Amino acid sequence: MGWWPVADLQLVDVSLRDGNQSLWGATGLRTAHIAQIAPVMNRVGFRALDFSSSTAMGVSVRTHRENPWDLLRLTRKAMPDTLLQFIGTGFRFISWEKAHPEVMELVYRCLVNAGMDRFVVLDPTHDMDAVRETARIIKAAGGREVIAALTYTVSAAHDDAFYAGIAGDYAACPNIDRAYVKDPAGILTPDRARTLIPAILANLGGKPLELHAHASLGLSPLTCLAAAELGVAVLQVGCGALGNGTSLPDAEKLTANLRASGHTVDVDDRLLAIVARYFDRLAAAEDLPAGRPREFDAAFMHHQVAGGVMTTLRRQLAELGMEHRFGEVMAEITVVRAELGYPIMVTPFPQMVIGQALANVVGGGARYDQVPDQVIRYVLGSFGKPTMPVDPDVLDRILSRPRARELADEPPPLSVSELRHRFGDRIGDEELLLRFGMPAAEVDGMLAAGPAVTRYNPEAQPVLRLLRELGQRPAASRLTVDKPGFKLELKGRAE
Amino acid sequence: MNHGFRRVLIANRGEIAARVIRTCRRLGIETVLAVSDADAGSRPARLADATIRVGPAAATASYLNVDAVVAAAVSAKADAVHPGYGFLSENPRLARACAAAGIIFIGPAVDTLEATGDKLAAREHAVAAGLPVLPGGHVLPGSANATELARRIGFPVLVKAAGGGGGRGLRVVREAADLAHAVAVASAEAAAAFGDARVYLERYVSRGRHVEVQLLGDGEHVIHLGDRDCSVQRRYQKLIEEAPAPLLSDPLRDGLRAAAVALGERLRYRGAGTVEFLADTGSDAFYFLEVNARIQVEHPVTEAITGLDLVEEQIAIAEGRPLRLAQHDVTFTGHAIECRVNAEDPDHGFLPSPGTITTAVFPAGVRVDTHVQAGSSVPPHYDSLLAKLVAHGADRDQALIRLREALDRCEIGGVTTNLRMHRALLADGEFERGGVDTGYLERVWVGVVARG
Amino acid sequence: MDLTNEDVADILAVLDSLPYDELDLQTPRFRLTLRRAPGGGWTESSQILSEPAGLTGVGAPLAPADGANGASAPTASSAPGAAGLVAVTAPLPGTFYRAPRPGAAPFVEVGDEVHEDTVVAIVETMKLMNSVHAGTRGRVAEICVRNAEPTVQGVTLMWIAPDPA
Repeated sequence: MGWWPVADLQLVDVSLRDGNQSLWGATGLRTAHIAQIAPVMNRVGFRALDFSSSTAMGVSVRTHRENPWDLLRLTRKAMPDTLLQFIGTGFRFISWEKAHPEVMELVYRCLVNAGMDRFVVLDPTHDMDAVRETARIIKAAGGREVIAALTYTVSAAHDDAFYAGIAGDYAACPNIDRAYVKDPAGILTPDRARTLIPAILANLGGKPLELHAHASLGLSPLTCLAAAELGVAVLQVGCGALGNGTSLPDAEKLTANLRASGHTVDVDDRLLAIVARYFDRLAAAEDLPAGRPREFDAAFMHHQVAGGVMTTLRRQLAELGMEHRFGEVMAEITVVRAELGYPIMVTPFPQMVIGQALANVVGGGARYDQVPDQVIRYVLGSFGKPTMPVDPDVLDRILSRPRARELADEPPPLSVSELRHRFGDRIGDEELLLRFGMPAAEVDGMLAAGPAVTRYNPEAQPVLRLLRELGQRPAASRLTVDKPGFKLELKGRAE
Repeated sequence: MNHGFRRVLIANRGEIAARVIRTCRRLGIETVLAVSDADAGSRPARLADATIRVGPAAATASYLNVDAVVAAAVSAKADAVHPGYGFLSENPRLARACAAAGIIFIGPAVDTLEATGDKLAAREHAVAAGLPVLPGGHVLPGSANATELARRIGFPVLVKAAGGGGGRGLRVVREAADLAHAVAVASAEAAAAFGDARVYLERYVSRGRHVEVQLLGDGEHVIHLGDRDCSVQRRYQKLIEEAPAPLLSDPLRDGLRAAAVALGERLRYRGAGTVEFLADTGSDAFYFLEVNARIQVEHPVTEAITGLDLVEEQIAIAEGRPLRLAQHDVTFTGHAIECRVNAEDPDHGFLPSPGTITTAVFPAGVRVDTHVQAGSSVPPHYDSLLAKLVAHGADRDQALIRLREALDRCEIGGVTTNLRMHRALLADGEFERGGVDTGYLERVWVGVVARG
Repeated sequence: MDLTNEDVADILAVLDSLPYDELDLQTPRFRLTLRRAPGGGWTESSQILSEPAGLTGVGAPLAPADGANGASAPTASSAPGAAGLVAVTAPLPGTFYRAPRPGAAPFVEVGDEVHEDTVVAIVETMKLMNSVHAGTRGRVAEICVRNAEPTVQGVTLMWIAPDPA
């Protein structure tokens, strides 16, 4: 077991993807916001940026009407020294439907050609066959670095030995370059880290280990400090308004804490501050909530259902006039989770478990009389092989449903040539993949909108906003806005 | 992992200092501006992250002082020096001193600077690269061969200094009888100005078009970013420039661009540079003039039609990166024209007009590169450039209309400027038609002054 | 605040269709004035007000003062007036006023006699009025800045022809 009292740490920044997704519904950042700060982010010294995902690319097209491939190219040009990371399960691209392996190969090839160089291989059920296959496809497509996830959760099944076993599999896979502990709920405590991380490192065959722990419970800033002493090479962070909260630990604070603990972090402090203040100002200018340090919540450690999800659940029960049964539902969630083989509570599994628990409690019949399609697909293995076996009785009840037969008989996903046949020969691969994953209207809308704006100044927004509001209503002939450090005067023709 | 320059010392002043600071800010590079006493409170000084004194107002003691500039870069812990244009921007001694101090000089390699700074050597490289040059040759010490050389070239000939330009050591000789004297005088002038008495002869072409090609190289590959026309000049000082050069035949344009790239490749050019030519549109002939191994005043018109940031490219190359663009990545859109607004009086021999700016009102909506604001001092120690107005349009006519409107909205008080001259030139039918030659300004301006 | 050319273009795109002819934006570091021009289009006038951050202790040492108005640091007011004139420089950045109040008579006119303590102008900085003194006994030779114009620190506000010693 190793102990590194003083270590050199590198940082991976997640602001643009996981920060945006956790705090701003994945819709806060547009091309302009990213393009403006990209050159500066390149010079900070981050090892990599968590840059994009299926979800993020879909949002670009659907919500912002901007081309995510162009955004990638533009960012790659502005960031020659920093790895750009894509995270995905390897099974799907934007749409929820499973994609044909050939289509996934094409996805990775297009991503590599457009400038993506680091790829997360993530299977929440830790299905090693799926992981190995995805890693192979990525390397064949030219991906420079493959990082495999060890998704952390607390359950009887997920002990140190379990993760040590996964680490051993990752060590043996030639297409995996490094691994990371992924803690989406932010529940990894420093105490647990002190046994878990050494167990993983002992079996990782010398490959580097990173830590990605959300700050939702206020634990991860401390866990990261512990990790630094345990041999973790890279810590993942968020900057300014895109750090803390349900995002990752704040970069500036963690860097300061690491150095105060005697470690070295080779990042440019001045530029890190510029990036952080940029996101702060952007958040203020766009009325987006800034991540704030969070308090520990012991109840959460048990049910691991995210705050937002619980709020939605309460609301749904209230709409059904059944809010008084909230406690029952929470208890059922724990039982269902065990029956379904302890899926890790990362999207889409929380929604799935809660959906089934709700159906069991309020459905008005026996348990598993109602089974949502998603749960059926899960037990059919569409989301990967469940980590632990599904309870045999439950499995039986679900698979004997007629709907289960229908879903099992669904046609296989379309191959690339079938897609070409459907969408035509004259569009490029990038557009083909977007059309595969999204409704035509959304892709058409994006193309019609033209090239995206690529510069943004948070300081100019208040002035622009004020002027736009003035355009909406009759204006005084003279207007003054006088605040500390800011005075704006508009004078009309009468003057 | 190299993540680029952290801090750059800008060893220049005026509008180009402000220009370089702007790009550095956007990239997150910290800027330290070298200032003489005359510029300590200037607008660029207020834009920079920090300033450092390099000497008193006189340029020789400050901006031209290699030791002071390098010492400033070392004191300021700069990773690199951007020399701007003019001053020490093409000075091999500065480039060498930076290298010795472990500081990157943002510009070409020392041997390139030596090759291009020596006009004779540059001419020889051009010939070796297959470029057409004006008939000419080196005058041997003692001028033994001058007469024979001149006879071979054909009068009139131009006596030129090998060690530098800008009009010094330059003499036109129309008759053989005047040759010896001209060579002697030019040689003496050259020795005084450049410390190098060598002169050479070249066929004198009184009128042609000054067309130049912008190059970008990384030491291995060279690409061009199109051409510019700078024919509106007075005594070798450019006043109006445009991109692309108007009214060139395709073979002439392609020939100019290919020639420039060929020379750049021969020099294994690294950085941003320009190859200047004299073009005769009547015969589609062109001749190599010189290489400017630095960014130039008129670079904004190239930026306007290519959408590129040349200072950013210079920095990337100096950071050791390969060219980010291949030739086919470079696209040209529309037309751009630039006016140099100077603090000088065109009605009185273009006498410089230093002083204090009381009003600085510029047109909004066009690009204005300036270092002055109300209250700025315009010291007498340096050039008179106050601002560059750059208008871009879908075509030349649109760019011209926009530039005219922009000039109308330009008001600078406290010093005399050449704004009225620019307005007159842009209203002139001959300029509007395009393709004016290097004799245009002197010819037309006399006329305008006479008309009052 | 750091507004670029493109930001100004964005602002104008909205401002142009509003019934305003002038926008004036001021922060401690920066001032921008946009005015609708009579012939169409807009003009812009901007001032960077932030102080230069000189690196001290490094770089070439200061030259000895050349006798101008007792200023001990290099300033922007280096434009030489006629031989012998003494500059009165702005002690702070702000707005230059020639009179104690709007509408009141100016402190001095060209030709007026002044002595060292005569108040010749006010520079208003963030609502505080700073008196500017002549600093020299003599006659006002030239007033260089217009009333109510912004000024930066060190700029020559006026020239005094000193009395013979």
